[in-house]
This record gives sequence, C-alpha cells and structure tokens, in this order.
Amino acid sequence: MSAMTEAAEEREPRAKASVEETPLPASAPRPIRCAARGVKKAFGKTQILKGVDLEIAEGSFAVLVGPSGCGKSTLLRLVAGLEEADEGKLEIAGRDVTRAPPRDRDIAMVFQSYALYPHLSVRDNLAFGLRLKKTPQAEIDKRIDEASQMLGLGHLLDRLPKQLSGGQRQRVAMGRAIVRRPNLFLFDEPLSNLDAALRAEVRVEIRRMHERLGATTLYVTHDQVEAMTLADTLWVLNGGLVEQKGAPLDVYARPRTKFVATFLGSPQMNLAEGKLQKASGGGFVAEGGGMALEVDVERFGAALEDGREVALGVRPHDLRVAQPGESPSLELRVEIVEALGFEAYAYGWAKASGPRVIVRLEAEHARRARPGDVIPLVAPPEHVHLFCQKSGVALDAE
Amino acid sequence: MTLRRPLLVLVALVLALAAFACGGATSARRITVWHAYRGDEERALKEVAARYEVERGVKVTLLSVPFDAYLSKLQAAVPRGNGPDVFIDAHGRLGTFTKEGLVADASGAIGEADVARFDETSVRALTQDGKRWGVPLATKCLALFVNTRLVTSEIATLEDVQKLRATLPASAVPLAYEAHTTYYHVPFLHAFGAELLGSAGDFAMVGRGAEDSVALVRDLTKDHVVPDEPSGALVKQLFVQGQAAVVISGPWLLSELRDEVPFKVQPLPTVAKTGKKMRPYLTVEAAFVTPDGAGKPDAVGFARWLGDDASARTRALVGKQVVATKSAWADPEVARSSALAAFHAAAADAVPTPTSTRLQATWVPADQAIKKVLRGEAEPKAALDEAKARFDDVMRPPPPSPSPAPVMLLAGGALLALAYFGVRRARAPGFRAELTRSLPVYRYVIHAVVTVCVLVVLPLVAGAATSFFAGGRGETRFVGFENYAQILTARGGALLGHGSFYLTLLVTILWTVLNVAAHVGIGLALGLALARPWLRLKAVWRVLLILPWAVPSYVTAVAWKGMFHRQFGAMNAILTAVGAPPVSWFSHFSTAFTANLLTNVWLGFPFMMVVTLGALTSIPKDVLEAAEVDGATRWQRFRHVTAPLLLPQLLPSIMLGSVWTFNMFNVVFLVSGGEPDGTTDILVSEAYRWAFTRDSQYGYAAAYAVLIFLLLFVATRLLGARVDRAKAKVA
Ligand SMILES: Nc1ncnc2c1ncn2[C@@H]1O[C@H](COP(=O)(O)OP(=O)(O)OP(=O)(O)O)[C@@H](O)[C@H]1O
Ligand SMILES: [Mg+2]
Repeated sequence: MSAMTEAAEEREPRAKASVEETPLPASAPRPIRCAARGVKKAFGKTQILKGVDLEIAEGSFAVLVGPSGCGKSTLLRLVAGLEEADEGKLEIAGRDVTRAPPRDRDIAMVFQSYALYPHLSVRDNLAFGLRLKKTPQAEIDKRIDEASQMLGLGHLLDRLPKQLSGGQRQRVAMGRAIVRRPNLFLFDEPLSNLDAALRAEVRVEIRRMHERLGATTLYVTHDQVEAMTLADTLWVLNGGLVEQKGAPLDVYARPRTKFVATFLGSPQMNLAEGKLQKASGGGFVAEGGGMALEVDVERFGAALEDGREVALGVRPHDLRVAQPGESPSLELRVEIVEALGFEAYAYGWAKASGPRVIVRLEAEHARRARPGDVIPLVAPPEHVHLFCQKSGVALDAE
Repeated sequence: MTLRRPLLVLVALVLALAAFACGGATSARRITVWHAYRGDEERALKEVAARYEVERGVKVTLLSVPFDAYLSKLQAAVPRGNGPDVFIDAHGRLGTFTKEGLVADASGAIGEADVARFDETSVRALTQDGKRWGVPLATKCLALFVNTRLVTSEIATLEDVQKLRATLPASAVPLAYEAHTTYYHVPFLHAFGAELLGSAGDFAMVGRGAEDSVALVRDLTKDHVVPDEPSGALVKQLFVQGQAAVVISGPWLLSELRDEVPFKVQPLPTVAKTGKKMRPYLTVEAAFVTPDGAGKPDAVGFARWLGDDASARTRALVGKQVVATKSAWADPEVARSSALAAFHAAAADAVPTPTSTRLQATWVPADQAIKKVLRGEAEPKAALDEAKARFDDVMRPPPPSPSPAPVMLLAGGALLALAYFGVRRARAPGFRAELTRSLPVYRYVIHAVVTVCVLVVLPLVAGAATSFFAGGRGETRFVGFENYAQILTARGGALLGHGSFYLTLLVTILWTVLNVAAHVGIGLALGLALARPWLRLKAVWRVLLILPWAVPSYVTAVAWKGMFHRQFGAMNAILTAVGAPPVSWFSHFSTAFTANLLTNVWLGFPFMMVVTLGALTSIPKDVLEAAEVDGATRWQRFRHVTAPLLLPQLLPSIMLGSVWTFNMFNVVFLVSGGEPDGTTDILVSEAYRWAFTRDSQYGYAAAYAVLIFLLLFVATRLLGARVDRAKAKVA
C-alpha cells in the first residue's frame, strides 16, 4: 500500500500509531496544540485577515488552502512571528505568543523559496539553529546524522546550496526544520517550485516524516492534491475568513459553499442555475442548464421548496452514462474529448445556451466518445449538491 | 567606392588649410597677445590695445589664459610656433623662459634710451646676462596696511609695531601676516642682512642673520604681537574687523577692502635693532616678446606701446596697477591714490624676486623650518640647517648618465617576450580562420581600443619612460634606473628617515587602512540604519548623507582645513566649549593625521553607504526570516547572515576605495599639506612635491608614480583573487 493512499484514507489514528512504532529520542517534543483566535491583519488599508479562528490538535496535520492572495502565507507568518497580528490572539502549547518573537515560539518553518543560507554548507545550514542555541557539538552531529539519513542528504552535507538541485534544496530546508525538533512545523507551499513527479515524491516524504515525528504541523498550499492527501484537517480560507474546515473527504463530499465546491476537485464541479420542482412521488427535481437532477430529499429536508431558485451542482466524476432504457438526467452534446488512457473527460453542453458541462467517462465509453456525440448521462441523487443562489451556502448547511 | 568620400573630405580640408595659411601670411598686420588679467586690469589692457589698433592699424587679438595653465600653455605653444607674439607675465619665470627659449631679447621694445623712463628696480629684474628681456609694466610687493583708527602714531620701525601691544585691547593684535610662509618672511630676512637664495642658486637662509630673523618672529608670536598660524583669509578678516592694527600684504588686498576700516598703506618699516629696512620680494609684470613676435615689428611695437606714458596712465587709472613707468606718477590723477603711490614707493626698495628656477625648491624646506621654530620644536639654527640639508638633498645634481644597457635590455626582453607569444599565438592551429571570422568584430571595438590607447596607455607609457630621466625641464638627462635606486635606497639616508620612500609608504598604508576601515564601518552602519523599514523620512536622510560626497572634494577639504585652525577653527571651539584644551592640530603628526583622516572619512563614507544600501537589497529577505525563525537575535542575524553575504559584495568597492584613498591627494595636500614637517605626506603628495616644488624633477616624480602603480597593481591583484573566491562561493 503506497503512503499516498494510506495518507488519503487514514486520518489521525494512523499518525499516532506510527509515533509509537518508531521510538523517538527522549528529547523529542511532546505534541502541542496551536490556535488562532479572531486574528485580524491589515496591510495599510487592505484588510487581509478578517478574524480567523484556527485550531490544530496535538500532533495533527492541518492544511490551509485557499485561492491566491487570500492570506494563507500571512496567517502562517503570523503564527511564525514574522508578522504581528492587529487583533486576536495566537496560542502555541497553551501559551499566549501573540507578541512573542519567533525565537520564543519554538517553531520551524520551511519556506517556499527554501531560504537556505547561501554562504553555508548543507551541514552548517542544518546546524545553524542548533548552534545559536548552544547545543553541544556531539548532539548537533547526532541530529544532523539522523535528519540526513531520514532525508537522504548524507552525500550532500559538504556542498553549498547553489550546488544542489531543487529537490535537494527542498530536502535540506526540511532537514533544517527537523533537526530543530520544534513544537510546531510550518510549511509555506514547500513543493510549488518542484516539478510534478518530484512533488508527488516529496509529498509522500512529508507525510512519512510527520508520521514519524508526530509533530503538530501547519501546511499552506493551494494544490488540492497536497491538501487532500496530507491533511488531517483541511481549512479552506477565502476572503480573509475560514470558509470550511474538516476532514478532507468530508469537505470534498459536503462542500459548505459554492466556493468550496468549485475550489476542491479537478476538473471543477458542474454548476448551473435553476429551480426546484416537486416531482411525482414526493421527490424533488432540480432543473437548470439543460439538466434535470433528482435530489436527495433526506439530505436537504426542509430546505426543499417547490419553485425555489438554487444553484445545482454535480462533479464530473459523479455523472455516469445512462443504461439503455434509463431516463437520463441530461444529454451532453460533446464538444471536446480529452483522452487520458483508461479514462476521458468530455466537455460540452446540456443545453445550447447553458453552462459548460464536464463528465468523466470510463473504459468503453472513454474510448468511443467523439466530438459531436450526444451522450445521455445520469446523476445519482446522493451526489447532487444544491446551493442557495443568493448566499452560495449549501442548502443542507443553512 | 567607400574610400572616395573620406578622400574628398581630406582633400577639401587640406585645401582649406592651405588657403587659411596663405591668408595668414598676407595679413601680417595681426598680432596675438596672451595675458592672465581679470577685471579692471583686463579692462585697462583692452583699452590700451584698442588704441594701438586704431593708431597703427594692427589687429590685436587678446587671449586671456587661465593663470594655472599659463606656463604649461606657453611651454607647449611657443616652441611649435603657435604661441602668442607678446605675452604678459611675472618676471619670476624669466629663468624658465630664457632656459627654454620662450622669449626673445626685448631691446627693440626697451632700448638703452628707454631705461630711464622706468623704475630702476623693475628694469633690473628683467635684465639677465646683460640683456633686457621684457618691458616692465607693473610691480607687486608687500607693504604695510595700517588701520588709522587703531594706530595714531607714525610707524617707522618694527619696534613701533611691537609697542602697540601695550595700547591695544587684548582682542586685537598689533601685527597680522602669514608668519609661517616664507614669502612673507623674506622682508625679515633682508632686514637681518640675510637672503633666501644665494647668487649661486644655493639655499642661503642660514647663518646668524637668518637665525635672528626667525627668532624675532618667534618672539613676536610668543608675545602675542602676531597671531598663531594666520592664513591669508584670516589676515584679511582680522584687518577688516578691526582686530589687527597693522597687516603685511600686497596690492591684492586693496581690491578686497571696502571701507570697513580707515587705513593707509606705507612701505614696510625698518628693524631698529639692525637699522635695516624690511625689503620684500618684488614681482615685476612685464610684456615679453616671443621669438616669433620678435620678427614682427608690430609685436615689438605693441610691447613698447604697453609701457609708454599714455598706456601706463590708463593701466594705473583703470587697471589700478602700480605701474613701472615713472611718468605716470607725475600725473596728479594717478598720484591721488595714496595706496598705489605707497606701493610704488615700497617697490623702489624691494628686492626683485630671483629668477632662478631653483627658488621654487626653497619654499617648502624654508616653510617647514619657520613652522618648526614658531611651534617651539626646534631652535632656529637647527631648523635652518635642516632646511638647507633638505634643499641640498632634493637639489642634488642628477648622477652621470649610465649606460642605457639595463633599460634597453629590459625593454628588449619585454618586446622579445611579446613577439614570442605573438608568434606562438599566430602559429597556433586555426588562428587564421579565427582571425578572419572575428575580423568584423574588430571593426566594432577598434575605436574604443584606439581611444583607450591614446588616453590611457600612451600617457602611462610616456610617464614610465619619463622615470628614466632626471633633471628639470630643458636639461633632462637619461639616468636609467637611477631614480628608482635613489628612491628605494632612501637617497642614501636612513631607511625610515624624514621623507624617505619607506616612511611615506608606511604613512600611506596607515592612512589607507584607517580610512577604509572607517569608511566601511560608518558606511555599513548608516546603510543598515537606512535600510530599516520603520525609518521615517528615508529619502531625506539618504540625500543628506550623500551630500558630503556630492560636494567637490577640494571644497570640502578647504572647509575642513578652516575648521581645524588653532585659534579660529570650529573644532577647537567645540573642544573649548566642552572644557577641553584647544589643540594645535597641525603641530603634531597624530593630530594632523587625525585632521586629514576626519576630513577624508567625511568625504568617503557616503560611497560605502550607497554601496551597502545596494548590496543589502540583494540579500534575500526570506533568508533573514529563516534565521529569525531559527532563533537568531538581531545581532546574530547580522553577524551570521547579513555580514557574510554583504562582504563579498563590498569587497570590490573596498578595493576601489583603497586605491582612491591611497592616492587621495586633495585631502592631504589641502588639509595638512604634509604638516608638520612633511610627515603626513603620502606617496602621491610626495610625488607631487618632486614634480612641482623641487625644480620640476619630473623624472623622479614619475618614478614615484610608477612605484605607486606597481604597488597598487600587485595589491589589487592579490585582493582581486580573494574577491573572486569569495564571490564564487555565494553567487
Ligand atoms: N508585507 C506586505 N505588505 C503589503 N501587502 C502584503 C504584504 N504581504 C502580503 N500582502 C498582501 O496580502 C495579501 C495576501 O497575501 P498572502 O501572501 O498571505 O497570500 P497567499 O494566500 O499566501 O497567496 P499565494 O497563494 O499567492 O501565496 C496579498 O494581496 C498580498 O498582496
Ligand atoms: Mg503564499
């Protein structure tokens, strides 16, 4: 079982189990909690964070996602102590650190640019923080040894940063954080400068490192795969506020807002504006954009009203080709087909003037789909999402 | 096809030149006159020349040549036949003029019969080897300016001046003059029967009379009859403010005085003790005729015209000159100016400045001796004997010409090596192909190469070549490596003796190291401070701090020199304000050196600050933040991150700054001027002295320059290798 699927499937319990399996040196930190309460931050006149509440449980891996410029890095830097909050409180291990300088917070941070000391060898980069704390040389050597073994840096220790590849630099940056044995790890898009293959590899490594060390971690990214695979808890930040938090699969399955629904998942969820209509037999059908989707009455309950204007959505993965004889929810007129081998994405419309609709086709259908085809599709009711047209909030979350 | 156009242009140019030359030949009634006059004197000259043009129908072209470049322009232009026909200059350079053939016998302009029309001394000054070389126009010499409000009695003797001490308030001095300057001391010398330059061109300011004269001035200073270290500007200021009863100065002071104080001018007094007059040096301005001009009757005529009665009257009235033509003084209008008349009277008793070029070399040692005595560092005899020894040392005749073999061997060897490498390169496989391929590229760089060769390489080579010769202009002689040998053996004296190359080198190194350390330290501190994000009015600070750099360095140097004045400088004012005793800045090596250092630090830190500011922007912000997160305090961040990243970037500037400081002539020359006793001189200022104050020993100065070049070359190569290594590590 690959670490990736393992991470995706399993949550907190597994992380804790690993800590027990690989005994850590006695000096390893106890996992701590980290919290932000009503944190606000403005740069000049622009309010970036408008009162963020964040809570990371002991030893858990929190991932912060959100669109570019929403203030993820700012929040992370506030936690690190590189910026000061205008309002609100920051707590690390139960201590109020809102005004404490970084060195009193016992944290380590991995920067997007790695920020290695260009004039120091890899070894000295790793030792930098320890030397400042007057750690005995023997202890420094030991920790460097451990970290370099864990990250495979052994043969690079005497090189300068400029003599390393991007992936190697990234690993040194992680090593620099690890040797410090901090209370809290902070990552700011640590993988964004790597190519896709390397990114996948290092992603796994980060998860494994977390499982071994069990340290509380706050990880910023805007890559969904990272968010989904790494997180114990996912925090979606938008417009300076937390829009939704929860286990990644929960957030994926039950997006609380239209924004979250479109932000997570690739390709994006198909959305259309439409109306609810009572169907024969007590059920409801959401009609719009050429689609007529049966909805899960149990899920939405009282929010369902005949004639209510809603945004209806269904993910490309959740649509399937109608069986012969089955009445389709929509008929997709295919414009473009992206074939990826065993699967394909078909782009098209359900109605000439309607929004674009995407569907994932598998196996036989994937091979046969051609532009110009009309494919009858069915949306299973449990996968149909409804949002209030005005507020964008999911009908079941109102 | 491409060649035709340039060819045509060339032909046209040649034709035009020929036409111009022919034209010049046909209109012979045209003369060129050079002068360095300004203001009233220039107006008077123009008036006189205009009358000559009208009367004789000759076109007179007056060319005002800046005083600083006057001699060198004459030396460059006259021998090539494109100099003036007539020029006006002081007689002091007559020695140079005759030695280099820049002037012709002027008997045509001032014949035997004319001699009586001029002041006797002025004619004597222009007579050399029994020939008269110029038409005397005006004289300049020192005289006594008396503040008639402070002084009511007659001043006949120096002792009368001394007695004023008793009657004057303590804030005023009886006598102000530039006591530490030899030119002003000459009248005292003469009053004691001594002189500065002997008839054989020897340093004659030794012996009983000279010693007594210096001792007298020392006593005058000690008794507060004369103020400490008065500069020309200070003398004027004291007089204008009524704080000096009597000053010794020249006609130039007249033009600077408004009617702040009532005054009169009279010839210098007598020293009662010896019964002899204080006779100053006399400078005679004269019209000289160049060898070219001597062939033109119009030129000779103009020289004569300048000295005739009508012209003299104009020059006296309009130009306010102390004219040497006797008849002018009979004119009641001229005689009305009592000050001019007094200067005229003073000139009658003055001693014409010797024309020997060796006079130039007496000033510095004589100045040093006087200063030493005035500061109480030496007895007059010891100081003057030392001055003579120094004069004799620098004026030592150059050694006999050795065989040029060693130099030739060296040059030949260099050429051979060059040829060898050239041939080897040309023989290398593929050289021809490469050459043809890069030929078009050469077309693009050729003008730059030529420019650099003409402007940089040629002067360098010429300078280096000069260093193999000795002797002043006109009598240069090949001496091979003798100049170098002399310099490197400290002229046979102690290796670290006064003015030796090694001592000066040590001073120069100390100077460079301290300066650069201070520049970097202060520049770094300010650069870091200015880079602080919270600093307000950043732009204003930046401009203010760059200001010292924007002001021309000599202006700053002169201003700082004033601040270090013992009696009137700002530095001592501050010291006394905080209760410290005032410092006589230029009497000790340490304080004089500090004064230079302070000035140069002021001039130099902005550069380092700007460089630091620039280098700081190249240090990634996130690396500093990483250090912050790693637990570094502000100091640790600077010590372990900023400094190691900054240093390699600063090294090239430090190197540049070191070279500039090593050769920082302006500050050393203008602030301490080598004081005390030449100890604060650095290598360049020493080289300057050889070239310009020791009878133009250009060869010796050039050898200094070559040694400086070699030192800097080696030093920068060594340092440069380090820079490259440091840079390779980070970049
Ligand atoms: N020091 C600063 N001064 C002024 N504005 C800033 C500063 N730092 C960040 N901002 C602004 O704050 C906003 C949020 O920045 P932040 O870096 O937190 O975004 P982000 O969510 O990390 O985006 P990305 O995904 O692109 O990294 C941006 O609009 C940015 O321009
Ligand atoms: Mg960011």
